[in-house]
Amino acid sequence: MNLLKLIPLLITAVILSACSGIGVTGKEVTVGGKNFTEQYLLSEMTAFLLVEEGFKVNQMNNLGSSVVRSALENGQVDMMWEYTGTALITYMGEDSIADPEAAFEKVKENDIKNDIHWMNMSDVNNTYALAMRSEQSEELGIKSISDLSDYINANPGELTMAADAEFANRSDGLPGVEDTYGFEFGSDQVRQMDLGLTQRTLNNEQVDVSVAFETDATIRNYDLVVLEDDKRFFPPYRAAVAINQEVFEKYPEIEEITARLADSLNSDIMRELNYLVDIEGQSVSVVAYDWLVENDFLEEE
Amino acid sequence: MNRKKWIGNIVKYALYALVATFFIWAIANSYFDYIFTQSGTFLVLLRQHVVLVLVSSILAILVAVPAGVLITRPKFKKAEWLVSNVANLGQTIPSLAVLALMISILGIGFKSAVFALFIYSILPIFRNTVAGIDSIDKNMIDAAKGMGMKPHQILFRVELPNSAYSILAGIRTAVVLNIGTAALAYVVGAGGLGVWIFTGINLFDNGFLISGAIPVTLLAILADYILRKIEYIVVPKGSRRIEKA
Repeated sequence: MNLLKLIPLLITAVILSACSGIGVTGKEVTVGGKNFTEQYLLSEMTAFLLVEEGFKVNQMNNLGSSVVRSALENGQVDMMWEYTGTALITYMGEDSIADPEAAFEKVKENDIKNDIHWMNMSDVNNTYALAMRSEQSEELGIKSISDLSDYINANPGELTMAADAEFANRSDGLPGVEDTYGFEFGSDQVRQMDLGLTQRTLNNEQVDVSVAFETDATIRNYDLVVLEDDKRFFPPYRAAVAINQEVFEKYPEIEEITARLADSLNSDIMRELNYLVDIEGQSVSVVAYDWLVENDFLEEE
Repeated sequence: MNRKKWIGNIVKYALYALVATFFIWAIANSYFDYIFTQSGTFLVLLRQHVVLVLVSSILAILVAVPAGVLITRPKFKKAEWLVSNVANLGQTIPSLAVLALMISILGIGFKSAVFALFIYSILPIFRNTVAGIDSIDKNMIDAAKGMGMKPHQILFRVELPNSAYSILAGIRTAVVLNIGTAALAYVVGAGGLGVWIFTGINLFDNGFLISGAIPVTLLAILADYILRKIEYIVVPKGSRRIEKA
């Protein structure tokens, strides 16, 4: 599924790099991205804007979080949209911070020593969540993660969960949720699969709980409910631009170019754009381009 | 001859040293820790992996060997190219694509993965069955006929024993490939040790990667060893010597 989504992207990347190659300006950046729709969109929009400003843009997409992070640290990727929560907890091993601004400042401060500069925090909050089918959630009376924990402790081995390898093994993912709320699914009950499939599996009634994101379009489409995080385990995951310090000093204009994008985006818009790609099946490039044109970032050609 | 043996030994011990160094390096970095700290999960994944391989391989053997036998009967000989091409086709579709296509038909999980692995295992077994039976000396079959054997007697007493080596070689190839390919089952939620390999890739964690990949490798070596033993028992002495020469 992710592979199919990647094809239009690859084509555009090739076209983009070919186009900018003509007007040799010498300005070149590599934009990285992770392996889900929102990241493809953010990376694609950024690439369009940078190309518009005369950059030659390379894209390195469809990478796991930790992989793209290492690429950013060792300079294979110059910039990317990263989430404050992911950086704080997974990369830096810190405790989560509930206030988005404070989390952003902390991440920015910590990353100075890694030569990574953070800027332009957006209102896009791609925090993790647990989802269930609304019908079943009503039937079992599970509205919050605490309810889920109580139910699982009373009926061990009954409910199953779909998760991708990352969520199932990250400390700010399922293991952390289980620790905080005091329950355990058991290895046989957690079915790990490609991220693109988890909610489809839930919708097909093959599992009872699935990992979800706040900006996820499928929640609405499949009539799922997001379980309330009543102990506030999941911290904010605000998307912001993380850029290599050297590259930032070389091209400080990138801050301004991406600032308007960061200011305009929020979780609702992101969910809508994700919907166009994931549910309506439009290509990432088309959705990104159309949105940029509609919002006067680009002139239609 | 002596020099050849000498070089052979050097290569062999260098390889042993390489493998030993790898294990020492991995253990020193505690890359195998997950197998012990999460042994419950490990056993679940191992069981899923073995079941996936067993079910798909057995289904493939049950389909491919009879199909190979059938297609070498004089009556069906003409259809051989057709069946071979269909079997070939199965192999040419990328395994990831087979998995993805099967999701829409068989749903997510075990069934899709087994079907994809089954499709993948058919060709080597089928090919080797046909080749094994075709390679039997025609004089031997004539002799059997001369002795008054009926077609089914010729099949079970002459043709199958004499092509056993080739058929088992096909099965061995299929099973060993199958064990490696089964790591992709994670993608469709069918579990298996691929889960840890993908976790390692996504989290950039060598511990998960190696805790998943090494057992898969060992599983493949073990399966190959067991099948070699079976081969030794099943293949008649006469044809064993011929094949080795």
